[in-house]
Amino acid sequence: MSHPDESPLLLVGWDFRQTPVELRERLAFSPEKIEAAILRLREEGLLSEGVIVSTCNRSEVYGVRGPAAVEGDPLLALTGFVSEFHGLPRHEIESVGYRHMGADAVRHLFRVTAGLESLALGEHQIIGQVREAFRFASSTGLTRTVLNRLFQKAIEAGKRVRNETGLNSRPISIPGVAIELAQKIYEDLAPRRFLILGAGETSSIFFDLLVARGARHIEVVNRTLEKAEALCQRAGKAYPWEQLASRIPHVDVVVSATSATEPVITREDAHRAVAQRRGQPLFFLDLGIPRNVDPKVADLDNAFLYAVDDLQEIAERNRQERQREVVPAMAILEEELQDFTAWYGSLAVVPTITALRRKFESIREAEFDRSLEKLNHLSPGDREKIRLMAQSMVRSLLRRPTEALKETDDPTRRLERAEAAQYLFDLDIDPKD
Amino acid sequence: MVISLLLGGTALLLYLGAEVFSIANLRKEKAVFGLVAKALLTLGFVVHFAALEFGGRLTHTVPYRDLSASMSLFAWMVAGSYGILRLRHREASAGPFLIPVAILFLAISLVTHPAQAPAPDPKLSGALFAFHVTLAILGYAAFTLSFVLAQIYLIQLRQIHKRKLGLLFSRLPALDVISRMHHTSIGIGVVAMTVASTLGLIWAKQNWGTYWDPKVAFTFLLIGIYVLCLLAGRFLRWSGKRVALLSLAGYVLMLFSYTIVNLFITQEHVFH
Repeated sequence: MSHPDESPLLLVGWDFRQTPVELRERLAFSPEKIEAAILRLREEGLLSEGVIVSTCNRSEVYGVRGPAAVEGDPLLALTGFVSEFHGLPRHEIESVGYRHMGADAVRHLFRVTAGLESLALGEHQIIGQVREAFRFASSTGLTRTVLNRLFQKAIEAGKRVRNETGLNSRPISIPGVAIELAQKIYEDLAPRRFLILGAGETSSIFFDLLVARGARHIEVVNRTLEKAEALCQRAGKAYPWEQLASRIPHVDVVVSATSATEPVITREDAHRAVAQRRGQPLFFLDLGIPRNVDPKVADLDNAFLYAVDDLQEIAERNRQERQREVVPAMAILEEELQDFTAWYGSLAVVPTITALRRKFESIREAEFDRSLEKLNHLSPGDREKIRLMAQSMVRSLLRRPTEALKETDDPTRRLERAEAAQYLFDLDIDPKD
Repeated sequence: MVISLLLGGTALLLYLGAEVFSIANLRKEKAVFGLVAKALLTLGFVVHFAALEFGGRLTHTVPYRDLSASMSLFAWMVAGSYGILRLRHREASAGPFLIPVAILFLAISLVTHPAQAPAPDPKLSGALFAFHVTLAILGYAAFTLSFVLAQIYLIQLRQIHKRKLGLLFSRLPALDVISRMHHTSIGIGVVAMTVASTLGLIWAKQNWGTYWDPKVAFTFLLIGIYVLCLLAGRFLRWSGKRVALLSLAGYVLMLFSYTIVNLFITQEHVFH
């Protein structure tokens, strides 16, 4: 699949690794832009099918080369189109993007869906984003045989990596680690009570995360009550700073992210709270720098304390564990790649024509032998004439189907015709042909 | 006898299979492994019951007359109690730690299986005595599970405290789930042991003419400790760690009652 004539699969893309965020923003495709872009690509004959994956970290155009891209470098032509479509200087985007063809394009897509190309290695949101991009393209008629199979395979490969390796088993972000820890103390976070100290950016991130996890009881304590109230507009309840110590016994998890220079929760505060909680554990997440919770709280029975350094260390360890899973993940992707390549190869025109001829010849030979058994009176010369006539008939019958398989410049159409021929004549394809 | 042994051996193999798939499920978190483990355990439980049924027919009573049979019954109760815990809490990750208890006792029971079934003893027959012994064994089985669960709780607690957050940490249940499972198993044990002891007292009065046997004192102390485990968190504000440690202490007393008391202190609670 590496030679251009044999590799109609194309990919041009830009991601967070090489492309600065300002440029990525300008290269992003909204759903309307995606449809408009692919329709234009098809009209201009550059692509016969196309899918555009556009997220905050990447913009990628996958496609099957169209009839107009036979001459010259189809990848450069595609890059040129993107530059013109977004009104960006071509040289500016050419140097920061990547371009792949054939198996390399397939491998890249598989790596993307598996999360190997993600900013957070192994993150699984990307599989949903790729699925959505494919669904959109498919529902608007922008995909056909090749990309349908390619994207289904890519999603399957991504799922296999997720299920069969530990690439996504442990969180690698600080909020992710904190939530995992909380869920090892209280399995269901929804009915638990949370107290957030501070109303800054970190508190806001945690607030949103807890709401997203279904937490129903969130309290916010802040020195400026108005800020706490602003954070609690959608959900939760704000309390003045003076009530901090009295609120702790009523909650299960305390998330502290204030800019205080001294600990705001002392060992005594925590001890009093734990004593009032009838054996229920209390989990302190101290995200403040310097620390907001007295480290001695960790020594209390039934209290757990994790500071930002602890969470960072766990996140780093998990990141290293994920890194170790890249090799097994790649082995799965190579397996899936071979599977796709075998399917793709089986649809090639040459093996189809060879198989078609082989099939017709075998029918001719079988029929010829059977008929001659009943025609014993014929001379060897007559037999030879009949044999030549049968051969000529087969050639005549195959002439038009062979031409039809070869004539179109549209690779997708060629593959579709090959697939139809294989189905109609029940052909057994040997990829070595 | 041979059929009972064959069925017991089959049950043992099924429990072993359930253990293997439980471990695989713990390591890989694959639903199919969990389902196979559940199916094998259920099948093992049914086959094990058939083995006990055959054994019981020979002695015309519940199979508790000899140590081997009582251990087999104990193993069956452990498997059953684990099944109840699993259904009640929808939590399978404690399986790899609990199923080995059933495997161990069933294996010992098969190895120590006597060549001949003990002769029926009219003194030790009757529904009252049968229920007394069966429920007592259920109580012991449930306390054994609570012993294992208390250890799992302490392991998970230690991992969180010491920040040792490896594979075991991620696969073991949350502390509150282990705690609830621990409570359920103690609850089963307390109810079973209380009813068993009451029935035992009635039977003792009818047959010995007295309620007293040193075993009675140890059993009520044991029930008291486990009742304290159930109530200490709520009413005495004890931490989960303290409750787990008390549960371990209760189990040590249970072992003492089962071995030293049976062998050296009481004359009545002995296996012949």
